[in-house]
Amino acid sequence: MTASVVVVGDDGSDGARHAVEWAARTAASSGAELRIVHAVGLLEHAGLAGAATLDGDEAIARATSTGLDPGRVHWSVDDGDPCTALLRAADRALEDATTVLLVVGSRGAGGHTGTLLGSTSLELAEHSPVPVTIVPLHGRAGDAAGR
Amino acid sequence: MTPPLIVAGPTGLIEHDGGPRHPERQVRVFAVMEGVRDLDLGDEIVYPEFGEAPLEVLARVHARAYLNELDAFCAQGGGDIDPDTYARGDSWVAARRAAGAGLAALAELEARREGVAFVPVRPPGHHATVDRAMGFCLVNNVAVAAASRTARGERVLIVDWDVHHGNGTQDIFWDDPDVLYVSTHQHPLYPGTGRPTEVGGSGAPGLTLNLPVPPGATGDVLRAAIDEVARPTIEEFAPDWVLVSCGFDAHEDDPLSETRLSSGDFAELARVVREFAPAPGRLALFLEGGYDLDALRASVEATLAALLDLPSHPPPPTVGGPGLTRLRDDHTERLRAIDRVHDEGAP
Repeated sequence: MTASVVVVGDDGSDGARHAVEWAARTAASSGAELRIVHAVGLLEHAGLAGAATLDGDEAIARATSTGLDPGRVHWSVDDGDPCTALLRAADRALEDATTVLLVVGSRGAGGHTGTLLGSTSLELAEHSPVPVTIVPLHGRAGDAAGR
Repeated sequence: MTPPLIVAGPTGLIEHDGGPRHPERQVRVFAVMEGVRDLDLGDEIVYPEFGEAPLEVLARVHARAYLNELDAFCAQGGGDIDPDTYARGDSWVAARRAAGAGLAALAELEARREGVAFVPVRPPGHHATVDRAMGFCLVNNVAVAAASRTARGERVLIVDWDVHHGNGTQDIFWDDPDVLYVSTHQHPLYPGTGRPTEVGGSGAPGLTLNLPVPPGATGDVLRAAIDEVARPTIEEFAPDWVLVSCGFDAHEDDPLSETRLSSGDFAELARVVREFAPAPGRLALFLEGGYDLDALRASVEATLAALLDLPSHPPPPTVGGPGLTRLRDDHTERLRAIDRVHDEGAP
């Protein structure tokens, strides 16, 4: 069993890139495995969303650039909306690890701010079975503070 | 004599505007109504009046906090809820009218004790869960209608042949012994749920029946799923009402999936599902997905013509795609999962 897993969402947005980098640093410093999850929605499946060309290469490169061992970085895609896909990934990680952390950017590709509705990060904070770190878009990637 | 066709709708002709590039857009309803017009029933079609579904009726299936938030979100002009799903300033009213149309459809059927109801509304509903909007859906229209009947002690079968799994409907009725939810859907595909081992909670073990089919599946596979695999469970359940989450996005021309049904396949599915209605006037179809406009029009016409025994000449049903063997294997897995739920629920 892996001791710790950090799960991070990647929708190709600036906020997600920032979150991947933060999650990678956290994984590197704690000896955890990093799992990067990309949710494929209805529009992306049909080639109607901007993220259709997103693959794991950029996110993996970004994660390993922090010094994280490439062998501890895993990329996966999952059908569903971002919130559901990340919650599923957290549940799966709990089957493999004693400690799981879920990381997400404060603003995803939807770009909405404010209420629970339309905010993946706030919905995750409400529903997640594991601790959630929301990485602020304009914070410093090395900062360990989420909210 | 042809039984009456009750059309509760359309809604979403103008409101809930996602822009011309979003596949779930107003012109879908125009295509659907062209399909209705192609039946050549003229003045024989019954259009019941309907309004917005009351909040307390929606609250039978959705959390009040979610409904209040959706209301407030739209009042502030709306926005993107997730990468697929949007709401606009008028979407709260649009969603309540869509749900209200479904309620009116069942009331009209009940008053007439005959006929078939069709509810051509948008936004669609079957992905909307107890407390979340997703997959283009805000309010779960078929669930609102079903709950209006279970509140009176009646039993409702929901057959969902949309190509995407109706995770919202499954979520809402997971533990409800008065609703049997049967879904055929492509898997893998959004929303990633709908595995055969998802069989319902301890309050309703076996009353969620998921029948996933692989990409490339043809109509014969979906017919076998409902007619052969699901039939014994449906007959044992003995529903008072049969509601269909009637998506047409399993059509071979639809841009959102890889299944290969023709419009003639939907006619065949409709004939199978009709057999489960316990009496005349107990069958209603709710529009869900379907994003190729020509396919939508032709499939609506073929489906309704089949249910009304009207002459229609759609393309022939399709055969030969993958998935039949998997359906049978899945059934064994499903039975084991039901046993596990029973065991976990045992004292």
